[in-house]
Parts: sequence; C-alpha cells; structure tokens
Amino acid sequence: MKNYDVMVIGSGFAGMAAALFAAERGLSVAQTGATGGIDFSTGFIDLLAVHPIAEQKVWEDPFAALAALRRDLPDHPYCRVSDDEICRALEQFTTFLGHHGLCYRGRAGKNTLTLTAAGTMKPTYLLPCTAWNGVKAWEMKAPTLLVDFSGLKGLSARQIAEVRKDSWPNLKVARIKFPGMGGELYPEHMAWSMADPARRAELAQNVAPHIADAKYVGFPAVLGMTDTAAVLSHLEELLDRPVFEIPTLPPSIAGPRLRAAFDRGLPGLGVRTYTQKLITKAACSEEGFSFTAGSGSTSVDIFAKSAILASGRFFGKGLRSDRHRIFEAVFDLPVSQPKNRSLWHRPDFFDPNGHEVNQAGIETDANLRPLDAQGRVFHPRLHAAGAILAHQDWMRMKCGAGLAIATAYKAVASL
Amino acid sequence: MDFFSIGLVLACASAALGALWRMRGWFKRGVAMGRPGQDRPRPGVLGILGMLVGGLADLVLLRRTMRSPLRWTGHTLLILGFGPLIVLHAMDGVVTRPFFAGYEPTLDPWQFLRNLFGLLSVLGLTLLFLNRCMTLKKFSKLQDWTLIAVVFGILISGFLLESFKIMSAGDFKRMVDDYFVEAESEELISLKAYWARENGVRFRQFLPTAPELLELGAELHEDRCAGCHSPTSSAFVSRSMTSLVPASLYIADQGRDLFWYVHVGLAFLGLALLPWGKFFHPVATGINLLTRGGTRTADTPTHTLARGLGLDACTRCGQCSLHCSVAPAHRVLGNPDILPMDKLADLRCHLDDRLSPGRSAALVEGSHICTECLRCTQVCSAGIDLQDLWMASKKSLTEAGRAGVDGEIRKRTAGEWARELASRDLGRVGGTGAGLADRAESFWGCVQCTTCTGVCPVVAVSEDPSRDLDLAPQQIMNLLRMGLKAQTLGARMVWSCTTCYKCQEHCPQGVPVADILYELRQLGAEILRKKEGRS
Repeated sequence: MKNYDVMVIGSGFAGMAAALFAAERGLSVAQTGATGGIDFSTGFIDLLAVHPIAEQKVWEDPFAALAALRRDLPDHPYCRVSDDEICRALEQFTTFLGHHGLCYRGRAGKNTLTLTAAGTMKPTYLLPCTAWNGVKAWEMKAPTLLVDFSGLKGLSARQIAEVRKDSWPNLKVARIKFPGMGGELYPEHMAWSMADPARRAELAQNVAPHIADAKYVGFPAVLGMTDTAAVLSHLEELLDRPVFEIPTLPPSIAGPRLRAAFDRGLPGLGVRTYTQKLITKAACSEEGFSFTAGSGSTSVDIFAKSAILASGRFFGKGLRSDRHRIFEAVFDLPVSQPKNRSLWHRPDFFDPNGHEVNQAGIETDANLRPLDAQGRVFHPRLHAAGAILAHQDWMRMKCGAGLAIATAYKAVASL
Repeated sequence: MDFFSIGLVLACASAALGALWRMRGWFKRGVAMGRPGQDRPRPGVLGILGMLVGGLADLVLLRRTMRSPLRWTGHTLLILGFGPLIVLHAMDGVVTRPFFAGYEPTLDPWQFLRNLFGLLSVLGLTLLFLNRCMTLKKFSKLQDWTLIAVVFGILISGFLLESFKIMSAGDFKRMVDDYFVEAESEELISLKAYWARENGVRFRQFLPTAPELLELGAELHEDRCAGCHSPTSSAFVSRSMTSLVPASLYIADQGRDLFWYVHVGLAFLGLALLPWGKFFHPVATGINLLTRGGTRTADTPTHTLARGLGLDACTRCGQCSLHCSVAPAHRVLGNPDILPMDKLADLRCHLDDRLSPGRSAALVEGSHICTECLRCTQVCSAGIDLQDLWMASKKSLTEAGRAGVDGEIRKRTAGEWARELASRDLGRVGGTGAGLADRAESFWGCVQCTTCTGVCPVVAVSEDPSRDLDLAPQQIMNLLRMGLKAQTLGARMVWSCTTCYKCQEHCPQGVPVADILYELRQLGAEILRKKEGRS
C-alpha cells in the first residue's frame, strides 16, 4: 500500500493546481485523473467576467466584480477565498506553466477581450502568449489576415470576419491547404505536425501570397503541441508579421497542451501521477483515506492522510446522475441539487438565468471541506476544489479556471 | 528371372525415377514461389567452411533433434542400427562380400552384428512410435504410420526369417546335400544331433544324446560347417525367438519361406516407396540439413532450389506445430493451416495447383495469421528455412490476389460493402449474441467530441483520413448509434485499427470505442469466411 500526505482526485484545472501547490509546499502527493473537462478548454484562464448572469453584465475589473459577487451570492465558492489568495494562486500556477513551455499573460486587475472561433469577443483574465498579438490587433483594429484550413471544421475565418464585420472591418480571410494533410483535419494531428520546420516553411509559403497589407496574421490554434513559442516565432520570422492563435471549437488542443505541461512538470516535483485511472473504491478512517485507483489487474491501492476532491462535474465524472438524482462519484457525498428532476432546467435553453442543474454540486465549510447530510464536516482532512463545488455557474460567469485554481490553493493551504 | 531379381529391378527403378521426380519438384515449386530477394548476405570462404561443419554436425549428430531426448534417442538408435543393416546386410553382395574375404552372413561378427543392429533399430523405432502416439497423434497421416509399419515389418520379419532358418530342417538337408553328400548315416545323425543341440534346428526324428555321438558331431561340424557357420547363439535375438515356437510345431520350413517373401517383399516395398511422402525424408532432409549449415535462423541465402528442397524436407515431426505461437488461433478457429506443419504440406500442394478452393482459402488465412515470429524455424528438426517460405508465400499469394481477410475487404469500397450487406441480417458477435455495437447503452455517452479520433495513431499516420480510412472512429460510433452497422463494416478504419486502446482510454464519456471496432472486425471476418464457404 502506497502512503502519501495528500491524494488529489482529479487532473483538470483544480486537480493540477492542487497537486502543484501541495508539491511546492513539500507534501508527498499522489494524483489520479482521466480525460475530462479540461480537454475541452480554450486555454484561457477566466477569473470573473459576468455578474449577475441574468443581466449578462460584463466587467472590465474582475476584482470589482468579485466584490459585487461576494455581496450578492454568499454561497458562491469565491466567498471562501480572498483576493490575495486568488492572486498568489494565479501567480504560482502561471509561473509553473511558463517553466514548462506554456507562457501566459494578462493585465493586472483587468479583463481582456479576446477572439473566439465563433467570432465573438470573450472577456478573460489570463491568455496564452500565443493569443496576445490577437488582442493587440483587435484593440488597434489593425488590418489582419485570418487563415483557416480546408477540412478543419473547428474554425471558419469567414464566419469570424462576418460576425466582426462592424467592429473590425479590416479583417481579411484566406482558406489554404494545410501542408501534408487532406480530407478531414483534426487539430491534434495538425499540432504535432507543426513540430517539423519543413512543414512550417510550407505553411508560410501557402500563406504568404494572401498577406498583402495585413499587419497581423491569425491562425487556428494548431501551432505546435509542446513547443508553441518556437513554432510561433518561426512563423513570425517566415511571414515577417506578428502571428496569433485563435482556439478552435472544442475539442481544441488547449487541453492536451495543458495536460502535456503538467505531465512533464508535476512528476519532476515528486507528484506520483496515475493517468487514465479513476478512483473505484474509497474508505475513510481517522488516520486517513484508502483508495483503489483503476480496476482489474492494473489497479493500485493508495493510502493518504488528506484528500482533495477535484473530480470535476459530469464530464470529469466527479458527478454522475440517473434520470432523477445527481450523485457524487467517490465518497457519495450529499449533492446540493434542485428538489426534483423537473426543476433541473428552465424551458428556454438560452434563458439568461441559466439552469439550476448547473449550480448543483458539493457544499463546503469556510475551509472548503465538504459537508455531510447533517451539515457537519464529512472528514476533517477532506477538501473539495474546482467545478464540483455548488452554487457557481462557471460557464456563464466566465470564472471556471480561476475558481478552480483559487479554491485548489485554499484547499491546500487549509490542509 | 526370379522374384528377387524382378523385385529388385522394379524397386530400384521406382526409387530412382521417383527420386528424380521429387527433385524435379524442387525446381518447379521453388520457381512457383517467386524470385528470391538478394537481401541476405553471401558467406565468404570461412563462412562456407563453418556451414559445412555445421551441416555435417546436424546430419551426423542430429543436433536439431536434441531438444527432445526421446526423439533424438529413438532416431539415433534407428539410424545406427538400420544404416549398417542396409549397407552391410541388404547390400552384402556388392559391399561386404567384395571387401571382406571369406564373408558369410552366418559367420561372426556379421551374424552377431546383424542381430545387434536389428535390435537397436527395433528399440529406436519403438521410441519413435511411442513419441508419435503420445504427442503427435493428431498430426499424423497415413504416410507416417506406413513408414513405421514398413520398417518395423522389415525388422521383425527379418528376425522371424532368421529364426525359422535356424530351426529349418529343410535348410539343413540342403546344406548337407551340397557340402557333405557323402555322409554316412551314423555321421549324419551325429551331425544332426549336434546341430539340434547347439544350433537349435528342429528335426522331426528322434535324435540320440549319447556323448560319443555328440563328440563325433562336433568334430564333423568343425570339419565341414564351422568355416561358414558360427554358433547360432550369436544370433541372440533370433535364437531366443525360436523358443517361442512350441516343439511340437514343425512349421520352420513354411515359416522360412513365408517370412523370406515377407522380409524381402517389404524391403522392396520400402525401396519402391522411397520417393513417396515421408519415405523420402532421409534423402531430402539429409540434403537440407547439409545446405542449411547449422543455422537456426532465417539468414542463409535463399535459392529457388533451396526453397523447393525445404518444402520436401519436412519429417512431419510436429515440433513446429507444437511450438507455434498462434496455436490459440488454431484452437479457436479450427483451421489446420494456421499451424506450420499442415501449412507447409498445403503450400506444397498449392504450388502444384492441387489444392481445393476451400483448402486454398484456409491456406491464405493461415498464411496471414502467421506472425513470422521465427519460432518454427528455430525448432525445425529438418532445419527448413520456414520463415523464408512463409514470407515468400505470403507475398506470392497476395500478388495472386489472395490476401486474406484484410485484403479481401479492401477489394471493394465501404459503400459497396454497405450495399451488399445492408439487406442481410448481420448477426451479432459476443457471448450472448448481443454485441456492444448493437446496444444503445454503448453510445449513450457519445457527444462526438472527436477525442478518439484525435488520439488515434492510425489517423495520425494518414495524410487524408477520409480517403485512407473512410470513416474516423467517432464517425463510426455515430453511424452505429443510428443502427447503420452495414455502413461501418467495410470502412478501412475498422481494418486498420491496431487496437492500441487509446480511443477507449481517452474517451471522456466511457464509450468502448476500441472494443466496438474489434467486434466489427470479428463480424466482418466471420462474414467473409462464410462467403468463402468456410466457417
């Protein structure tokens, strides 16, 4: 039986952050996780941009938004973390990513608007550096060439230009052949092929005739998997223009890029990662937690003094449901949810209030420790972090990654 | 012309002509396999010397059979015994008599040696027979049992012949008529008494036992007989066997006649049958062992002739089939051509265009299930370069349009297969008959996120997945959950899948993508087998 200080259940934003913070604090960490929500990420780190969601009010200052949110929604998980903790968490997280090939930037205390594959401008807090030239191009409304590829379904330059035509009239579009691939294209394979400098040269050759007087060139986010900075600067050199990436519709490769950075970096900090394994058995005692990860001949038994439940929502398999109820998958913790099934959704899919089921999740105390059916702390050394927490609607509030990272920070700090 | 001369001429003619015919077959089949590549290195002088030594060691010491002590012992005893019997006994007229002055078969050491070698042969053959019964019964054919029966028959009938000759009063009379015609009655009876007592002859008449008469008999024996006759006790096997015949039965002369014809007849039969099947293996296998030069791998230069020779050199020892690494596939599918020994025999038939269509299909399947792991080549007692034969035949079968299930499925497009299969009940694969691909639960979670396609290495190496693979994994899942199984069976993604399981492991919604693709492939293979008339 393997023995650890902390078991992190989940390998999405919250799980990766928790494993990172715990390891950098000097604790011995084991982590399990599988494909889940992070694999559909855009790569942006949202902090808070919309509140209240019914009004769809967009904030330029996320911390002012946080103050309003804490006032209006006392049950929101952001009430359990301070601004200071949020800043330190984000700092530590992005520093780590920067060391492992994923550079992030943003403006302190300000949300930034950035382009999406649908042509909308999305407010976010921290962006991959590979998207930053796009921000500059947008803010200056500079003449820009948007490139897409025949056969890639996840991004249409023409659609973006069409949606943006009033606010950014200088957007030009070009559809070109992606070097070495035809028919239907898939972002993951395209990104890996960009590791070859010859392919990049061929790409630049195909793009060059379309540039004309554009000052910036934007591509679908397929510019490399583990070496995005190198690919980008090479293309900038070849095209003699600043280049930026636009995340494709999910599944974009932002998720695999983040995973790759964590898979490279966390074991180096001593974290024992069990990838593609889910917790199949969990038992609690005063001394700690006994877990079985995986099943069959490859299952592993792990013992940990503390545990952080960062298992995500339905996609992450942290929550599961039948036709009537939602359950928590590891400890069978009580899940705060609408009284019955008919209350899960409002009749209008795009109702600005959102849907009640999206706010279901685990309720915790001030230190992010889940509560049992009687409202008492389930286990003194079990914490929860990330999207599994109740009373937040991360998609509509634009707070997903920030919430995950900040609550993971708080959970580790409270261990 | 008597029985012996006619028989000998016919047997030798059959053996010689048959052997030539077999050797012609080496060229013919070798050529039918296609031209060998020149990719193997040619050995230098030292290499050739090494190969000669290795080949001789294999031939003389039976090195390649040493893995199985029972077979090695049996074979060595048989060769040590039967070889000298052929050369020094069967061919004594042309070998022993010219080289050894005063040779008579009834003299020692020849009489003793004949029995010794005969006994060794019988022991060896018994071991080989036991081995075939214990481990090789399911592989054995008529030719295997016939060879054992014929050799056994020759040996046993030889002992019996000698036994009856020992007992034969008629032979004694013939000898006396030729060499002691002037014998007086008292001398004759003494000699008879001596021979009855010392050498086991069975006389009908009552013979005296008085010591002085026996002494006289001994003297006469020394004068007249001993020059050509050693005591028959040195024929220790045959002499012992005479005690099996009760004293009251006087069948020695008839027995002698009968077993002479049996013994000589079987020997001629064996000789005449030399070119048939297993009977030829001492020749073909012997030559093959020499030419392979002791190597156990597939690295000797390939020649057309060597290939044809290899096809003929099989001793049907069954070791290749017993060690084949895809034997479990044979257990499940029941196709005998999955195992090397039968595959070799059928390949030989196929190269002669004598293989039935159903059997050809079985050969093609066996050829493609083979993983070319080299194990059969390493254990082959005859040193056949099986690996080369498998790879060359796979290539030539494919070039002839027989490429196994994977080849057959690619002869039509996915659309054509869909049209052909749409009207049929496609059956279900799986223990309960309801496979994963037919159950709605398998697909409930699929959100068409394309993660499976994104991680698939087969998609990764294709420049144009829709051109090369027809459908991507998530597209197959989509068609299946709409119940359109016929559209997916011919898709080349199904037939190129390596079952690496990345799709299933990475699917965020728990769809068993790899298991379903594998199931489709099984179903497709089953449908194709039914089309070929095999199942």
